[in-house]
Amino acid sequence: MSRIDLIKRIVGCLLLVPALTALPVWAGAGGDGACLECHGDSGTVGEMLAIDRGDYAGTPHAEMGCSACHVSVSGSHPDDGNIPSKATCEDCHQEVAREYAASSHGGYAACRDCHDPHSVRGVTEVSGYDLNRPCAACHEDQEMNTLHAQWLPQAQLHMGALSCITCHTGSENYVITLYLIHRAPGEVFGDFALAGHEELKGLVAGGDVRNLIDTDGNRFISLEELRVFNGSSRYGSFRLQGMMAPQKVTHSFQILENRWDCSFCHASGPKAMQESFVAFPQNDETYMRVGVEKGAVLDLLNGTPDFYILGATRSETLNIIGLMILAGGLVMPIGHGTLRLLTRRNRDGKEH
Amino acid sequence: MAQNGKIYLTPTPVRIWHWLNALGIVTLCLTGVQIRFPEYVSLFGGYKAAVSLHNAAGVVVSVSFFLWLFYYLLVARNLLKLYVPNREDLRFGLLRQAKYYFLTYFLGFRSPHTTTPQDKFNPMQKSAYLVIMMILVPLVIVSGLLLMNIAPLRNLVLVVGGLKFLVSIHFLLASMLGAFLFTHVYLATLGHTPFAHFKPMWTGWEETEEAKEH
Repeated sequence: MSRIDLIKRIVGCLLLVPALTALPVWAGAGGDGACLECHGDSGTVGEMLAIDRGDYAGTPHAEMGCSACHVSVSGSHPDDGNIPSKATCEDCHQEVAREYAASSHGGYAACRDCHDPHSVRGVTEVSGYDLNRPCAACHEDQEMNTLHAQWLPQAQLHMGALSCITCHTGSENYVITLYLIHRAPGEVFGDFALAGHEELKGLVAGGDVRNLIDTDGNRFISLEELRVFNGSSRYGSFRLQGMMAPQKVTHSFQILENRWDCSFCHASGPKAMQESFVAFPQNDETYMRVGVEKGAVLDLLNGTPDFYILGATRSETLNIIGLMILAGGLVMPIGHGTLRLLTRRNRDGKEH
Repeated sequence: MAQNGKIYLTPTPVRIWHWLNALGIVTLCLTGVQIRFPEYVSLFGGYKAAVSLHNAAGVVVSVSFFLWLFYYLLVARNLLKLYVPNREDLRFGLLRQAKYYFLTYFLGFRSPHTTTPQDKFNPMQKSAYLVIMMILVPLVIVSGLLLMNIAPLRNLVLVVGGLKFLVSIHFLLASMLGAFLFTHVYLATLGHTPFAHFKPMWTGWEETEEAKEH
């Protein structure tokens, strides 16, 4: 055995020691149940240390297990008297942490202030309203409406149809996501609220809620399926509320100069508004998106009856109809005018 | 009122209203084109400027419309007489006037309608103005006001069929009014001189038939 091989074996054994020590804990990774037996009950561990089992189960962190972040937890916890270590977000999300720290928001809130690691979801798994919820914890809705209204026309409308990060980060790939909202049947002037999984399940006789619109179950919503849903009196108390949010999220919070210019969105042209989804609430409180046929938001009437971006989601069909009407208005000046010119001698000196 | 072969046809409030309306409607049409096709049209600078101007012009035209309605209903009290075609108009007048515009005009005949302050419009004008002022303009005003206040008036927007329906109606009405504008301006040139009908809308006075023939 060469000296180099010997050193390799010694190093290998030394690395194995902590790995073997951690084995009981890692074994528990797939079995967070043991941790949640206590930490899933606020009566046992108190509010501060309690975790909502349902929320946690839907997070990407649950796939790694408790011990992935709380590495020092031992098999004899809590009897050993040690407080388990906590990983920092930066340990795994270095790139995000760097980007966030450099942003204008970096000095004002820590990761945890916006994202609870025990309930955090991916950007496409939450509704657009949930996406804005962490922001609203500090930036109160009414105050933000008032502030934006100082320069932004119809501020309330804009803020209801955009996620905050659409304008206040360098996030990219904007798509339109439609959420089902509803109000009590017959309440013509009642307030709308996001429809929950259970409400929708009732409409599909306990089946998959996506079948409510995706009636053929191919997990793709055609324009026709969208029209049928929107035109159906059976779903009269339901509407599809659209929201424009980025798919590629960054944490580069900033006041972007080009967002003061309305043409950033409104002059983006119909081609920019091709991608849309309908997000259905699932029974674990996450959302599952189903892709919608390209160009649905440009449909004249029943594609997305409540979603319209001035300038950007105009209907081509309507443009043609409008042009024909205008052309109709030119019949008199052109047609009559030509005949008038040709017959001008008949009216010489007595034009009226 | 008539003097020296002229009649006082268009009172000052009506003329002010007309030109205010004209300016407002032209502004609305041009800004409307920029709002709908911003990547091709930028007559008024930024998009926000076009929207703000469109909204302001919309309010001016709305106020102007109600002033017009108020004036003719309560001050002049001849709205129905001037703008609603009577039985005679419907039975014979419309056809007679259409025959003039599309046939006898080219043969050199005189218009079958004589303009007086109490009968300013021929049957075709009456019918067109009735549809425009009593249907199209009120609808474009209401749809525009709803579009200016979508969030606070959301339930009303839904009652009328949703945002897209409302935008479509507003656009189609605007197209119709735009089309009318071409016809309106053209027909105004059919006087004894091309500007003969423009003058009374500026000065209030129009030459009488007798004066025209001298």
